[in-house]
Formats: sequence, C-alpha cells, structure tokens
Amino acid sequence: MAEPTKVITEIFGPFQDSINAEQDIRELIRSIMKDVEKSLRETVIAMQVIHSEVNCEYIHHSLLKARSLFEEVQKGFDELDKTVPPGQYYRYNDHWRFSTQRLCFLAALIVFLEKGFLIDQVTAAQMLGLHDKENIHLDLEDYLHGLLNLASELVSFVFSCSRGALCIHIYAQARFAVNSVTLGDYSRPLQISKFVAELNAGFRLLNLKNDSLRKRFDALKYDVKKIEEVVYDISIRGLTPKASAEDAAD
Amino acid sequence: MSKSKGNYRSKRNKPTVGQQAKEVLESLDENNRVIKLFRAFAVELDDKHDRHERIVKLGRDITIEAKRIIFLLHNISTDIEEKRNSVLEEAKSRLSTLCSTNFKAIALELRRHDGYLYHRAFTAGMQEFIEALCFYQYIKQDSIGNWVDINRSFQFEDEDQQKIQLLFTQYDFILGIADFTGELMRKCINTLGSGNVSDCFKLCNFVRAINTGFLGLSYSGNREVSRKTHVLRQSLAKMELVCYNIQIRGSEVPKHMLLSVIESQEADNNDDEGFCI
Repeated sequence: MAEPTKVITEIFGPFQDSINAEQDIRELIRSIMKDVEKSLRETVIAMQVIHSEVNCEYIHHSLLKARSLFEEVQKGFDELDKTVPPGQYYRYNDHWRFSTQRLCFLAALIVFLEKGFLIDQVTAAQMLGLHDKENIHLDLEDYLHGLLNLASELVSFVFSCSRGALCIHIYAQARFAVNSVTLGDYSRPLQISKFVAELNAGFRLLNLKNDSLRKRFDALKYDVKKIEEVVYDISIRGLTPKASAEDAAD
Repeated sequence: MSKSKGNYRSKRNKPTVGQQAKEVLESLDENNRVIKLFRAFAVELDDKHDRHERIVKLGRDITIEAKRIIFLLHNISTDIEEKRNSVLEEAKSRLSTLCSTNFKAIALELRRHDGYLYHRAFTAGMQEFIEALCFYQYIKQDSIGNWVDINRSFQFEDEDQQKIQLLFTQYDFILGIADFTGELMRKCINTLGSGNVSDCFKLCNFVRAINTGFLGLSYSGNREVSRKTHVLRQSLAKMELVCYNIQIRGSEVPKHMLLSVIESQEADNNDDEGFCI
C-alpha cells in the first residue's frame, strides 16, 4: 500500500497547501475591502444630498466631503496593491469588482457635478487610487459599469431637480421672490440629456458580449427615454432657458 | 401640401419627444471627446473578446483530442506486450503534440496578460488533458505525476527564447484527477470483461486512495470539486461492487460471466458521463 499514501502526500498535500494560502490572501482582501466599503457607503450617503438640496452651498459641501472620503478609499487600495500577488488580479477580483464599479460611478458623478463632463478612465483610476499600481488597476469594464450607473443616477437627479425647480416656479407665479440660481436648474435636464445621449452614442460603438455589461447597457435606452420625456415636458411648457429667453424677447 | 406645411411648422415651433437626443446624435462627429474615448475602449474590448474566443477554440480542440487519446488508451489489451507498447507510444506522442501546439499557442496568447482573466476559456480543455495524461501515466507506470512535474511540461519558449509559463492551477489539476477516476472505473469494468480480476482490485484500491485524498481536504468552497467528488464516490461504489462480486461469487460463476452479473445489479444506477465521444 505504498502507492496510495504517496498519492495523498504528493498530490493532495500540495493542493491543500495551495488552498490554505489562497484562503489566507482572501481573508486579508476581505478585511481591506470592508474598510473600503465603509467609505463607499458614506460617500453614497453624502452624495444623496444632490437629490433634495437646491442650495449650491450644501452641494459644494457634500462634494468636498465625498472627495475626502475618496482619500480613505485610496488608502484601502494602497493596501490591496500590497496584498494581491503579481499577475493574479483576476484570480481575486470578485472581492472588489462590485465596489470598484460603485466607486467609479461616484467618481464620475463628482466630476460631472463639478465640471460637467465625462470622467476619463485615468482620472477615475486616480480618484480611486488604482492608477499606476503594481498589481492592481482599474478594469475597463468596471469603469464602463460605473458610467452606466451614472446615467441612471443622473436621470433620477433630473426628476428631483425638476421637482425642486417646479416648486419654485409655482412660488414665482405667486409673485414670491425667486432665486435665480435655482431657477437655472431648468438647464440641468438639458445638460444631462445631452450628456446621456452622448454616452449612449459612445456605448453603441462597443461590441459587447452577452455579459453583465451588455445587460446593463440594454437598460440605458430606458434612461434615455425617460430623460427625453422630461426635456419634452419642460420645453413644451416653455421652461427651458432658451424658450424663456424667447418669451422675454416677445 | 398644406398638411406638409403644417408638419414643418409644428416641427419648428413645437418640441417633440426625443428631439434633444436626436439633435445631439446629429451634431456628434469624430472629434467629440466621448466618441474618441469610446473608440479606444472598443479597440480594447475587441482585443479581449477576440483573444478569449481564440483561446476557447484552442481549448475545445484540446478537449476533443484528449477524449480521443483516452478512448485509444481504453482499447489497450494488456495481454499482448507489443500492441500495448505501440498504443502507449502513440498516446505519448499525441499528448506531447498537444503540449507543443495547442497549449503553446494558448501560452503565447496569454503572454503579458493575466492568465486568470482568460482561465475560464481553457480550464475545461486543461482538465480533460490532465485526465488523459494521468490515465496514460497510470497505465504505463501504475502511478501519476505530481503538480510540479506536470507544470514543467507547460513551460515554453517564445520566438525570443524567453521562458513563458502557462497558467496551470492546482484546481485544474485536482479536477482532472477526479475525472480520471471515472476512466479507471470504466477500465475496471472492461478488465473484468476480459477476465483479469487482479487488476480490478488494484484499480479499486487506487481510486479509494484518491477518494481518501478528497475526503482529507479541509476546505473546498469550489462547487466543481464537490460535484466531481460526488461522481467519484459513485464510481468507487461501482468498483467496490465489482470487487465484492469477484470475491464472493468468483468461485461460483465463470470469470467471463461475472460482468453480466454486475451489469444486471447496477442497471438502475447507470449515469456514465461523456464516455462516448
């Protein structure tokens, strides 16, 4: 019976060792991601302000808070870079793929609110702390997932900012003083509509496989449709900045 | 005429749903920043998908060839030494051809890429190859190689004499071994059919040793591992039934008839996977 024991020591022994080593690494990654996910949740909460607040000062404040939370995220990914073995990013990436997609979305949202244009992949990687790292990077598909999430978020943002603006419009009719900055929120839907339409055109250039990204992209057309309806509602009532200007001229 | 004029006017003055999106699409050109970004993404994604497809094709060819080699090895007749040797020679050369062509091609595709990203594309072929290789080694020398030895056969050199190592995971190795026990079970039944009973006990003991190895693993969150160990246990049960029949009835029933005794017993328990190619 020398042979069977040899099978166990030579084949199953090393296999068990490799499983144990893998488990240890996964354990470390999990504890790192726990901290990253905490910052992620706090950032999500901080950014929710944009839906209910029309005051620029508050929005500015929450953007600053989100930025500072991203510094925590960067520290987490610094740790992760030291933990993931070289060339094994995709062996363990299940642990951080979803969080990375969400973080990408938040980074894209911040950049859109601050500057009004689409975040590029390098900037997103820099904000997350994934840029120019040894063993980890920002996967293109995770970044694209983040952009699709951004489109959905912006559409719901349009609804909330139109709602806010409509309230003010009613006040205006009642001859209350009107805050011109918040009235300007009618231009937001137009800006976002243009942005989402461009994003849609961009995604159409990709040959997507029948994977999760493809399914997510298929939902984008509903976002485009929703926002077009908002734009229609606004423009038919002559609430767009252009139409208002024409009205004023009349 | 007046109708078309009306349309024109309504288009001009009244907004329509989708107007904004249409305007954006019409005004997009090649110099748009978003379009430029996505053109680059498209190139990157296409490269990844194409590479994945090429590796899937190579992996599928490996699976087919490995199944054929296993079939060839099943036809080995242990009685005639010369025929046995020629079959072993042929299997050996076909196995090494697989290494030097398909596996090398995969290794070259994966050069400077993360093997784990494309692992799913060739894991099935890899496991089937390990199954064939272990079967060959077992028939030849009654033992199977370890991971380090087999991993060495996945080292290649590219055109610049740079060493490249194909990703060969421990999981692929162990799952290949689990499949390999199914072949041993078939061999055990076939051996019985040809009346060679001592080999049945030997094969049964070997599979039992592998089963012991699987039982001794402390963790396996891998679903494939638990699925395959389940199949392994079924194979082992069949083989133990064979050995039992030889032991108990061997003296009562002529050897060449033992097989039909066993087949009638396990008629309700026949779920061989993928024996026919």
